[in-house]
Amino acid sequence: MMTRTAIIICWTLAIGLALFLLLPLVVIAAASFSPTPVFDLPLSGASTRWYGRIGRLDGFWPSLSLSLQIAVLSTALSLVAGTLAAIAIARGRLPGATALGTLLVSPLMMPGLVLGIALLQYFRMIGFTATWSALLVAHLVVTLPYVARTMIAGLSRFDFTLIEAARTLGCTYAGSVLRVMVPALAPSFLISGLFSLLASFDNYPVSIFLTDVRSKTLPIRMLQYIEEAPDPTLAALSTLILAGTLVLLLISDRLVGLHRMAGTAD
Amino acid sequence: MSAAPHLVISGVSKRFGAATVLDRVDLTIRRGELVTLLGPSGCGKTTLLRAIAGLAPPDGGTIALAGRDVTHVPPHRRNVGVVFQSYALFPHLTVAGNVAFGLKVRGAPKAEIDRAVERALSLVKLGHLGSRRISALSGGQQQRVALARAIAVEPDVLLFDEALSALDRKLREEMQVELRRLLQEVKATAIFVTHDQDEALTMSDRVAVMNKGRIEQLAEPRELYARPASLFALNFVGLSTRIAGQVVGGSNGTVEVVTPVGRLSARGAFQPGASVIVATRPEQLRLGTGDGANSAAGRVRSVVFQGSRTLVDVDAGAGASLLAELSGREAELPRVHDEVRFAWPVAETFAFAAEAS
Ligand SMILES: Nc1ncnc2c1ncn2[C@@H]1O[C@H](COP(=O)(O)OP(=O)(O)OP(=O)(O)O)[C@@H](O)[C@H]1O
Ligand SMILES: [Mg+2]
Repeated sequence: MMTRTAIIICWTLAIGLALFLLLPLVVIAAASFSPTPVFDLPLSGASTRWYGRIGRLDGFWPSLSLSLQIAVLSTALSLVAGTLAAIAIARGRLPGATALGTLLVSPLMMPGLVLGIALLQYFRMIGFTATWSALLVAHLVVTLPYVARTMIAGLSRFDFTLIEAARTLGCTYAGSVLRVMVPALAPSFLISGLFSLLASFDNYPVSIFLTDVRSKTLPIRMLQYIEEAPDPTLAALSTLILAGTLVLLLISDRLVGLHRMAGTAD
Repeated sequence: MSAAPHLVISGVSKRFGAATVLDRVDLTIRRGELVTLLGPSGCGKTTLLRAIAGLAPPDGGTIALAGRDVTHVPPHRRNVGVVFQSYALFPHLTVAGNVAFGLKVRGAPKAEIDRAVERALSLVKLGHLGSRRISALSGGQQQRVALARAIAVEPDVLLFDEALSALDRKLREEMQVELRRLLQEVKATAIFVTHDQDEALTMSDRVAVMNKGRIEQLAEPRELYARPASLFALNFVGLSTRIAGQVVGGSNGTVEVVTPVGRLSARGAFQPGASVIVATRPEQLRLGTGDGANSAAGRVRSVVFQGSRTLVDVDAGAGASLLAELSGREAELPRVHDEVRFAWPVAETFAFAAEAS
């Protein structure tokens, strides 16, 4: 049984931790509205002029476009491949299914830097030098484990009698999958897609080894800006990315409920 | 109940690899009849039910439902209702959403769906819970939703696979009575699968005792209990006294058997010399010697009081024991270590081939 003191300590810790994690984001957002190039407290008024400058950053649009392309494509491919793999692993009588599942998820446990260097060496060795494709394949290695892990977990919790129940109620096999399995697995599908999208979009350690001067992903471009001219434009960009992420989270919450996505339901 | 056959299963077999799980099963069920498949774990009850539902088509034989051969018809075109042991309710739908599922899939008009859902929910006394989430229901309520979902589509036959076994004993007994009343009210034809003999005897018009992929006996509960067709059926339903012996003679469907407790007469037809098990039900035993009846004596091993009845276990020597059920009114109940003699009618004594067990 939990005592009152323990509850108070837990809450204090939780709130403190949340503040500690969220405060930098608040600072960044505040800095993006700073009227002067140097961020200073207390704030002396607010300005949105840094937001106007984002688009004029050197090479910003190509980098944004590249990052979005890679993130969306690698997520889409991961969702398809990861879900199919998860079905084979969680459902099929595949020999060595457990080992295969572990293998599929293993890049999650590997430091990004090591993965980046390894991929760079490997791509060079086999003569795979097209930057865009190399980036996509590398990001697939990063995003696939998220999808595979979440979908394997979701599928192993799925009760396949539900499909039989739907069939006896008049659904074809395909119809049952659509009406029963898809809604039941939608939260897993959505959360893994979301994680995968974010993991790819803000990936730095793997991308850094595979980009070249002409094609840089957004995180790499942003680090370059910081080195060249540290002014609140970057803070404004970060705030926009933050806002975009929030919107994604809110939409997901509307669709399936974040509590279900976090796996804390039932 | 009309006499027309409604579900006709003939020669249905099913193998999994080398194992024959259903061995040429024949079963005919009339419209409106409630039949139970009773048998030990692994005897093929679920497999037979799944064959009827179309979820696992048989390797051989035919299944006809409502005058139509459905042996190879997929489940969604069979019009069967299944209540699964785990209930298999759809977690993403509400109670009403679950009950409406079958009708929606069939493309019924909205007004008709609403009416059917309301009727089905009120039948199972859950009319007020239509908008609840499934996860917010008790086990008993989930059971009712599963039932409402199955009857809402007005299936030709309702199949229950151990549908009550997840409920606690008291609720289960209430549901048995209520379910039987409800199924008779909607004139459903139903098959229950259970390995609980009390459930089988309570719920059904007829009981099919299954053993190793075969139906050993199909009979009304009373007859099944009073006239078991095999040693297996005798053992599986109710308690009994069983004594091994050798046939020494007989006539007119009665055999004389020499047993460790003395010479007994039993119904049955066996050649002299055959090894048999002589059996009778505990309530047939009466204290005393009886007139022209079988009788045996021994020392009381235990007396178990069970409310309306008392079970007396007697050691009759040579490894044989007698089990007697005496009503509470029995003036003089024996005590442990008493020497007693019991008698029971020959007409209620059966002989079965010994090797059958
Ligand atoms: N898909 C399958 N593959 C292989 N063997 C199976 C399969 N389904 C059932 N069996 C076997 O068939 C036999 C009968 O199974 P079934 O499920 O019909 O038994 P049951 O009478 O319903 O038992 P219980 O009371 O335990 O539910 C069992 O020995 C089981 O192991
Ligand atoms: Mg079973």
